[in-house]
Amino acid sequence: MVSPVIVAVALIAWAFSVHLPLVYTVLGLGWLLPTLELIGYRSGRRVYVDVAHGLSSYLIAVYAIGGVFGTIVTVFLAGLLPVFTNIAGVLLWPVWGVAIVFGVAIALPFIGFYNRTFGRVSPMRHIAIGYGMAIALTVIPAMFRLVFAYINYPVGTSITPSSTSNTGFTLSVNVMEALGNPTYPPLLLATIFGAIAMTGVLVSSIHGWRYASSRSEYHEVGHRVGNMVGLIFGVLYSIFAFWYLYTVYQYSPTMAWSIFGYPPSYLPSAFYSVYKPTFTLSWMLYMNIALGLIILALLLISLKVVSRPVEALKLVLTPLLMDSAELMNGLAHMPYAVVPPVSAAEALIKTYGLDFTLNVAKWLTVSQLLTPEINALLNVVSVEPGLLVGSLVFFAFFNVLLLYVIYAALSWRRTTTAMGV
Amino acid sequence: MPIGYILLPAAWISLLDEARWISAVGVLAHLGLASAFLGTILMAVVAEFLYITRHDETWRDKARMFSVVSTIFFGVGAAFGTLVEFGLVTIWSNFITIIGSAIVLPFYLELFAFLTEVIILPLYVFTWSKIKNAWVHWVIGLAAAFGGYWSAYNILAVMASLSMRPPGLIVQNLASTTGKTVAGLTDYLVTWAKPTDVWNMFWWGANVFIFHGILAAAILTWSVISAIYLYGYLRERRPDQMKVLRVTVPGVAIMTAVEGFILGHEQGELVFQFDPLKLAAIEGLFWKGLKVDPLMSLLVYGTLNHAFWGYYSWPADVRPPLAPFDFLPIFYLGFMVTLGVLLGVWSGGLSLWYLFNGFFSRFNWARAIASFLERTGPYAMPLFAALASIGGAVTAESGRVPFILVKASPDPNGGPPVVSGVPIYSGGLINPTLSLPGWLVALVVIVEVAMPALAVYMVYIYIKRRAVREAQVVEY
Repeated sequence: MVSPVIVAVALIAWAFSVHLPLVYTVLGLGWLLPTLELIGYRSGRRVYVDVAHGLSSYLIAVYAIGGVFGTIVTVFLAGLLPVFTNIAGVLLWPVWGVAIVFGVAIALPFIGFYNRTFGRVSPMRHIAIGYGMAIALTVIPAMFRLVFAYINYPVGTSITPSSTSNTGFTLSVNVMEALGNPTYPPLLLATIFGAIAMTGVLVSSIHGWRYASSRSEYHEVGHRVGNMVGLIFGVLYSIFAFWYLYTVYQYSPTMAWSIFGYPPSYLPSAFYSVYKPTFTLSWMLYMNIALGLIILALLLISLKVVSRPVEALKLVLTPLLMDSAELMNGLAHMPYAVVPPVSAAEALIKTYGLDFTLNVAKWLTVSQLLTPEINALLNVVSVEPGLLVGSLVFFAFFNVLLLYVIYAALSWRRTTTAMGV
Repeated sequence: MPIGYILLPAAWISLLDEARWISAVGVLAHLGLASAFLGTILMAVVAEFLYITRHDETWRDKARMFSVVSTIFFGVGAAFGTLVEFGLVTIWSNFITIIGSAIVLPFYLELFAFLTEVIILPLYVFTWSKIKNAWVHWVIGLAAAFGGYWSAYNILAVMASLSMRPPGLIVQNLASTTGKTVAGLTDYLVTWAKPTDVWNMFWWGANVFIFHGILAAAILTWSVISAIYLYGYLRERRPDQMKVLRVTVPGVAIMTAVEGFILGHEQGELVFQFDPLKLAAIEGLFWKGLKVDPLMSLLVYGTLNHAFWGYYSWPADVRPPLAPFDFLPIFYLGFMVTLGVLLGVWSGGLSLWYLFNGFFSRFNWARAIASFLERTGPYAMPLFAALASIGGAVTAESGRVPFILVKASPDPNGGPPVVSGVPIYSGGLINPTLSLPGWLVALVVIVEVAMPALAVYMVYIYIKRRAVREAQVVEY
């Protein structure tokens, strides 16, 4: 039987791998569309506005499917890591609250109104609606990336021994202090620029593919602008990704060890057994760098020559790089769900002793937070493995179906006989 | 003074009540959107079936329209579902541990339903002119509808478990038995006696609850659809409007009859068995100790002399709140039962009139009654259906407060049955670090009300435009 940790991590990783490219695209389109409009109105070239209008329909569809996968992620987290999700909900509820208010309550009407008010309000007012939408959409990663930064390096956390808690301690978090997490700014900025870059490359690939056959100005503009956006923001992404990796090296020893393949120099050898990662992922780091360089070369080629194979490679490799980078970032925490800081470990040993500190570290691991003895899903899967096998078959089927629907949405053109919706 | 304190002074409303208001409004709004989706996708599939079998373009047109309307309700409803889900994480955060340790299976299975909906529904909507074989397209629609009903089935299974503890589910108060808490957050641990008991989430009592809820959703939406078409028919007398009415109105009548006579009765029996305190609260049995209630006795036992424990027989800290103004009996007896019966009368009367018009139109009295039902129907049917649905939802969810996973056990000392479960207050479900200033509560409630309004507005825009425009698309 596959270990519960592998099952849990695989399911959560799968859901994230589908969710993240979709929400990256939503964020990227959020900023790209009003900018295209602005360029169009400033330069007097209507085609830019038409490209933005055409893409805005996809924004709604991608937002909806991405949102569904967000729900899947949450159900997996609640079902597989209930105590972790419970603690995260209790400690960081203002973060979840702000994210959901902006992500649903404010962003959804903005997206709807942006799409429906094309040509119905003054250009500058419509652009303002577009940038309002982009800001609302940006608040979502601004909040969720704080949680990601927190699990890298849990700034603002207080640990108190508790004789009544079954964990032996209780946690509390000062959210304002958590905002000062050094891994947070580069992670957030890399996310925003990465999302815009990825979206730019995807837009250029789709328009480039069509331009290869139709040679219309519409597709030429979409292809050229997408390439430029991908190139500029891709470079910015690289800068902030390297800054992020630097902060990870400085503050998150298990992640650093996993990603770079060796323990960070500041880590005392006595702590090696505590901070040793489950996976060595340096090969993923090198693969990601190689993928980034290949995409850069493809972008440069694409600026000069429009070729279907090049556009197809861009379309496939860019989300692959994004997923690979996110997976590397997520898996590098293992065996921990939240990586304990070295300074905190030292302080806890000094104040409460080694046993207490090791107990805290144990409770921050994925295997402990799975609480397998009370995890209903893992328990039923252990006696009825068919449930898991069936699930995987269904998930594979839906992945294929999802890809087909996305392909269909991109390839089918609306005609006067199609749905007028 | 902050505006929140003007709107919701702390002295008037506790944190727990604020949390309950936010959740109640959110759940009702989400139920409204989900009901609208379930009813309209069912309508789309039924209409397309009629189009295929009768070769009547009217039904194709209706099916296509309802498929788009259902997609709008689904989109906003799904987004709203995320809002409700995060409400659980932030407000009732300890519920997450209960999901993981016990009631996860319906949530897990719901993912597949959700995937079915989100992938197949767009496929259904955007392939009206793409797939030439009408039966193939209809099957896609059927799959999309199945996804929706499967999703509802699973979520209602969770809601059923909150009111009736499934067999094999063990609720432990760790704090009182071992002096421990789960991570210092909640006193309660909920587990199954054995791993496969998790399937007991779908025991027969839960199925009664589930189908009661699903049917209520379809009744509500088809009542609204009937009312809209009836309103139009009274003014325009178009044949296509009558065609829809001859399907939806009898549909409402049949579903209401099943809801009231079969599922409603079974549901009442289950409430009596699992939560006699809830029964006392919703039926208005406001006395202390045992007392004979002939009507209740007749309904439950078929006799006239059985005694029931009154609401005040239980300690105050386990009783569901009645304030304001004894709302539980009003919502149950007044809204759900009385207005449900009236909905049955209106839909039943109109059904007879539409289906057997040749027979009944010979009688003056029948014409007079039909005229009254038709003139009042556009207002009465949706009002009755909406209030009955709200009454049912509030009865089910507020009647079990302050517990979830409720179970009644005999009192060995001869007192009223001991009602137990996981409490919603501190130490139970509520986030112990939560604070809700009045302005935040007001803001969230406004958003919760605004989102269904947004969906309705989008549907209105779609239907209004649809009547006057052809698709205007620039081809590049």
